[in-house]
Amino acid sequence: MAADQRAISRRGRAAWVALPFAAALVTILARLAGANATTAGFAYLLLVLGLATWGGWAVGAAASVVAMACFNFFFLPPFGTLTIQDPANWAALITFLIASTVASRLVATARQRAEEAQSRQREVEILYDLCFSLFAASQRPGVLGEAAARTLRSIGAESGGLYLAGEEAPASTFGPEPLPIDRDLVQQALETQEIAEARGTVFLPLHVGGKTNGVLVARWPVAPRAVLESASRLLALAIERERLLGEAAHLEAVRESDTLKTSLLRAVSHDLRTPLTAMRLEIESLQGRLAGQPDALASLGGLSLEQGRLSRRIDNLLSLARLEGGVARPHPEPVPPSSLFRAARESLSLILADRTVEIRVEPHCPDLWADPSLALETLVNLLENAARAAPSGRPLELAASPEPESRVRLEVLDRGPGVPPGVKRMLQGTRDLRRTADDAAGDSAAGGLGLRIARGLADANGGVLTLLDRPGGGTIARLILPAAPEPPDPVEGDG
Amino acid sequence: MTRATPLVLVVDDDPSIRQTLSRELAAAGYDTMEAADGMEGKARFEESRPDLVITDLAMPRADGLAVITAVRRIDRTPVIVLSVRGEEEDKVRALDRGADDYITKPFSLRELLARVRTQIRRAEAGPVAEVLRFPGLEIDRARRTVVRDGQDVRLTPTELAILELLAGHAGRPVTLRQIIAKVWKGAPATTVDTVRVHVGSLRRKLEPDAANPRYIGTEPWVGYRFLAELVEG
Repeated sequence: MAADQRAISRRGRAAWVALPFAAALVTILARLAGANATTAGFAYLLLVLGLATWGGWAVGAAASVVAMACFNFFFLPPFGTLTIQDPANWAALITFLIASTVASRLVATARQRAEEAQSRQREVEILYDLCFSLFAASQRPGVLGEAAARTLRSIGAESGGLYLAGEEAPASTFGPEPLPIDRDLVQQALETQEIAEARGTVFLPLHVGGKTNGVLVARWPVAPRAVLESASRLLALAIERERLLGEAAHLEAVRESDTLKTSLLRAVSHDLRTPLTAMRLEIESLQGRLAGQPDALASLGGLSLEQGRLSRRIDNLLSLARLEGGVARPHPEPVPPSSLFRAARESLSLILADRTVEIRVEPHCPDLWADPSLALETLVNLLENAARAAPSGRPLELAASPEPESRVRLEVLDRGPGVPPGVKRMLQGTRDLRRTADDAAGDSAAGGLGLRIARGLADANGGVLTLLDRPGGGTIARLILPAAPEPPDPVEGDG
Repeated sequence: MTRATPLVLVVDDDPSIRQTLSRELAAAGYDTMEAADGMEGKARFEESRPDLVITDLAMPRADGLAVITAVRRIDRTPVIVLSVRGEEEDKVRALDRGADDYITKPFSLRELLARVRTQIRRAEAGPVAEVLRFPGLEIDRARRTVVRDGQDVRLTPTELAILELLAGHAGRPVTLRQIIAKVWKGAPATTVDTVRVHVGSLRRKLEPDAANPRYIGTEPWVGYRFLAELVEG
């Protein structure tokens, strides 16, 4: 940690300065006290240990040499010289040197370890505080600027700023004055995901989960590199959390909007179909009571036909609204083409009352994989169009056959005038179903609306609708839908 | 049933539908009573114990589901639900909660009266017989045999269990969830696709003409309905 390093070097310089004074003081005190060689040796040892503890191993080593010289000069005979008379004193002097050097080394190392431990503790405290302030203390949205400021404060930067990936201007700045930023270094940090540094300004890439979501620029940060890296990772996590919270809020809004649309459509659906039901019931009731009056019955038949048409149109419009609103979720299941054809005929029983409808299902034709309601509605639209277009004496045909690539071809064939050019253009043109409402004026619009909806429903079912001119006159409405997966034969004796 | 004429309770918030249904049911020989919402429906059911309940699903104050729950708390009185397209999930929920049948608005009177007759007949009939006889089909539940047009049909135990369940509810829809619950005892790994595979296989063995099923009809979104009617005696 830079601040600690500076404190240690200041302390070291003071110890160097104090060394000669301390040596002189110990010598004077020992002389005044009349200490013998042994006592003086211990006093000098204390001096060495003290200085080593204070200023580190180098000061301790120097103190050992100085202490040895003073010990020899003042306390070993001949006094006042650096020579040694008695060989035994050589041993004492060398022992003193070794002991003082080793002891000073041990003391200095212990001191250093303690300082390192304190430094780690401070780093952990800084990161914990940062972590707490980023993730626990603030749950408010839009706190990125605040999070960046907290991070810069915790790493001891004078000033700085936060740049988010893909944005030119800084998302937030921090400090007394605006910071001149080298955009190239910001870009470099973003791209290389490595810390960049220039003239006391550090560019910390903020990466999480393999992507870099911004760069934190810090001027003169005091924290060591390990803390800078950890702090930037925490800030990156905070930014990611902000992003995810934003996305979650958006998804929630979309979900609520879908729920609203669904309940609105259900309400409209219920409100429109209830009077239609009442109408139908009244018509049927009247049909029973007017049994002997053919004229009245004929009128009622017409009324019934129109009620059926209105019902289908409302079904169409509501289906269209569901598709448009994105709330129609098809539920595909295996549908046998024959049952679909039968249901379509039954749905149009009044319109088809005096017509022949020929049904052909090729042998081994697979079932469809489609939403039964949507598939039926599509087919009813096509069949209704065919019935409207073709002369009443000519039969209508419904055909189903297998197609390559696990698909089924359904066709509605008539002997009408063929595909009108406008309808061809419409089917080839825009896929925007909303245009239907604008087009729904004039007599041909009903068929157009039915076709558009049929195409929308076919799309929703994963199918394709095309209109073709039929050889010999007439139209083929062809609907290609996915085939249901072939069920495996269950093993005999299961259960 | 102790009444000579069955009593039908019609619960619908739309007065016009309520009145027309009452009138036509009366014309068809039933006694009727009306309720304008779920709360009133529940009260009317508890005080008069009708023989059949016809209820709309979407109603102000307690909806159709609440009516079904209230009826089921007391007894097995048949319940027919009136639903509209787009309420498919509610329809399935209603059946799973104990409704016996549903009909989709706008429906025809003839169709509704046919459903009413089926339900009243079922309620009047005793417990399901050991041998179920349908036109061309005989299911002996004790001997676990199925004979179609005089020929033995060999079914797997699962297929037989499904057939017995559907035939035992002849004329009424059975939801996929009910099939899983009864046939597979709700085994967690059973999916609707499993049910469809077994029903597909059952149909291949049972139906003389796959294009025009005589016995097992599909109810889109819901499940299946046994189409043939029980032969008396």
